[in-house]
Amino acid sequence: MLAPLLRRRALTFTNTIGHWTGYEWVRNAAFGSAGFGLLFGLHYGFYRLLKYLATVELIGVLLTWKLTAMLMLMTFSMVVVSSLLTALTTLFYSYDLKFLLKAPVSLRSIFLDKSLESAFFASWMIGLILVPYVAAIMRVQHLGGAFLAAFLVAVPPFLLLSASFGIGFTLLLLYLFPSSRTRDVVWVFSSLSLTVVYGMVRFASPEKLVRPDALKLVAEYLNFLQAPTAPYLPSWWLAEALRLAAAGNWSGWAVRAAGLWGTAFVVYGLLVALAGKIYFIGYSGAQEGALRRREHGFKALPEQRLLGIGTGAALLWKERTTFFRDVKHWSQILLIIGLVFVYLFSIRRLPLDSAELRSLVSFLNVGTAGFVLSALGLRFTFPAISLEGRSWWVLRSAPIDVGGVMREKFLFSAIPILLIAVTLSLMTNWILDADRFTAWLSFGALVTVALAICSMGVGFGALFPNFQVENIHQIESSVGGFVFMAACLFYVGLTIAVLATPMQMHFAVRFGTGAWNDRLAAYSAAGWLAINVLAFTVPWRLGRAALENHE
Amino acid sequence: MIRLEGLGKSFGSHQAVVDLHLEVKPGEIFGFLGPNGAGKTTTVKMMTGLLKPTAGRVLVAGRDMAADPIAAKRAMGLGPDEPFVYPKLTGAEYLRFVGELYGVPLADMKKRVPELLEMFELTPWGGELLESYSHGMRQKLVLGGILLHDPKVLVLDEPMVGLDPKSGRLVKDIFIRLAERGTAIFMCTHVLEIAEKLCHRIGIMIGGKMIACGTLDELHAQSKKEGRDLESIFLSLTGGAEYSTLLKYL
Repeated sequence: MLAPLLRRRALTFTNTIGHWTGYEWVRNAAFGSAGFGLLFGLHYGFYRLLKYLATVELIGVLLTWKLTAMLMLMTFSMVVVSSLLTALTTLFYSYDLKFLLKAPVSLRSIFLDKSLESAFFASWMIGLILVPYVAAIMRVQHLGGAFLAAFLVAVPPFLLLSASFGIGFTLLLLYLFPSSRTRDVVWVFSSLSLTVVYGMVRFASPEKLVRPDALKLVAEYLNFLQAPTAPYLPSWWLAEALRLAAAGNWSGWAVRAAGLWGTAFVVYGLLVALAGKIYFIGYSGAQEGALRRREHGFKALPEQRLLGIGTGAALLWKERTTFFRDVKHWSQILLIIGLVFVYLFSIRRLPLDSAELRSLVSFLNVGTAGFVLSALGLRFTFPAISLEGRSWWVLRSAPIDVGGVMREKFLFSAIPILLIAVTLSLMTNWILDADRFTAWLSFGALVTVALAICSMGVGFGALFPNFQVENIHQIESSVGGFVFMAACLFYVGLTIAVLATPMQMHFAVRFGTGAWNDRLAAYSAAGWLAINVLAFTVPWRLGRAALENHE
Repeated sequence: MIRLEGLGKSFGSHQAVVDLHLEVKPGEIFGFLGPNGAGKTTTVKMMTGLLKPTAGRVLVAGRDMAADPIAAKRAMGLGPDEPFVYPKLTGAEYLRFVGELYGVPLADMKKRVPELLEMFELTPWGGELLESYSHGMRQKLVLGGILLHDPKVLVLDEPMVGLDPKSGRLVKDIFIRLAERGTAIFMCTHVLEIAEKLCHRIGIMIGGKMIACGTLDELHAQSKKEGRDLESIFLSLTGGAEYSTLLKYL
């Protein structure tokens, strides 16, 4: 019974491509090329890193495989978190579930179809990032196509197993807590636990293990490099499979690959068997809306006190109300708070001995914090327009301007993202005791980066709206999401490159090796201004025009 | 009140609506009929600013929808075929939000929202999230939202779908009362009985073209059929008279 369900997906895919217009072919080819460019850039970065590690005497190869194991562990945890977020919407709130459940199709087939969809959306983009890394290993270690084939055979069960955690958790959660209120409470507590565990792992300072100077004995360091990284998780099995394939030990690889496939079959077999008994109970509970009486007082809205009477305040009120009533957002907020703490803790633990080095890191913080803000923009700002969903008609048929809707979306995401940017910048500068010039430069740059990311998020979100979407991950992992992320990273990179000139001159003055050049500084400022004018206006204007003409 | 001048819409090579001319006067209820895929919903979307026409223009209360969409939309209320609303707002909050978008004063909303909830028998549900509403309840709420800002023009796409008989009767009476007060109503429907009883004029669309338009008598004259009921006229004009031959596939 699963075959017709999977066939409909294949047909949807081929029909979508078959109906692309000439413009869509050109547009998607352009974005596809940009995607390849980004993957190539990642590949180059990985290649440089692995090439450097390979030059380390005696332990070069050990370092490479330790890094691989850590990367796989990171991929594993990212897919687990991602699947927690996709599984709920895909398994219990998909639009086509009503149709499928009415049809004479077994519950287990529907569950398998939906869980494969959930696993795909939770993992494809993260999995794709592994390809340039594996290609870099191939180049550095001069491995042939057989190594790539070994990776391609072993990676699908690894991603499926990672996603099975979120799917299994959601299946049980909905079964055990069919009442929506209890379920929400459990969901928030689960997220809180995840945040706490994440923080605890980070505060245990695992980085001291990768720094030989932090260990008493060289033997301890070597032991660490040779020890398995989370040996009971599939990430270690995959890393081991790759290491054995690279060493030409194909029987060893086959055992690990078979282990991954076998475990994936067993885990999904168990989940499917379980789903036959409990999936419908969870689905039925999920259909029941939460009855929570809220009387509306018809007083002035809090936003109206700030923005005055007008549609802007009403839009902002609607956005705030609907956002905070969705319990899924609470868990994300908890994770972000955890992320900010861990980020600052990591900065504090950096082994920086000189004041100059600390100031340099404070400047480079614009890049790393910019990356974090881009990821937040992808999660919250970029999907904001598409999340209007099928209620979009309410705004589109109302006497309001599309630009007004976009401004409200910008404001709603700019407030928290700016707050995070300011916190990261001020706290980092304080922790690192950066000099005044660097502190002001990085603060100004990060505030601008935060606002530009919000502007690009709304702009690209309007340029690639998808009001039929049922899962936030479908928005994030769409072509538009990819373009937004690539544009953000490009913008952050350019900002660092342009502002590097005044930083360089500042250090030259401090070290007495050069003088401040006003002309160069002016060029740098003009370049920075130009980048920001483009970042603020181009996606916004394109997005606005696209949204006005959206059909 | 509503004027469509040479309205057209193409999707690639497919012409969904072709050279549509129509005027709906104040106080008139106009019924818009046609088989599935005839172009009715596309027409509604163009009239309400949800789709951009490829030809012609839409005038609402004298305002061009393309040139002055804000003023045109302010004079209009839309009842879509699928009443999708924000699941995390309550019924009263949804009405408040719509009121704010259309610039209804707070004092008016304070008085009108409870009245509208009462009228549509939604008072016990006014404080509940819309995710717990049934299709019919959401349909009634959307109609309440339209009435809140008292538009001069009403554009409705299948307004009776999902309504229970009592609510259906109430909604029909509301439309009649609004028309008496001068509101122009444009209504797409597949329920021929409603069109027959409620509408002053009826237009029939097929393949994006309006093939017939007028009062029931005028349509009867155009159809050259003996039966005077709308169903016979509709089937005659849309070529549905041969539908019985299709039953052979049963």
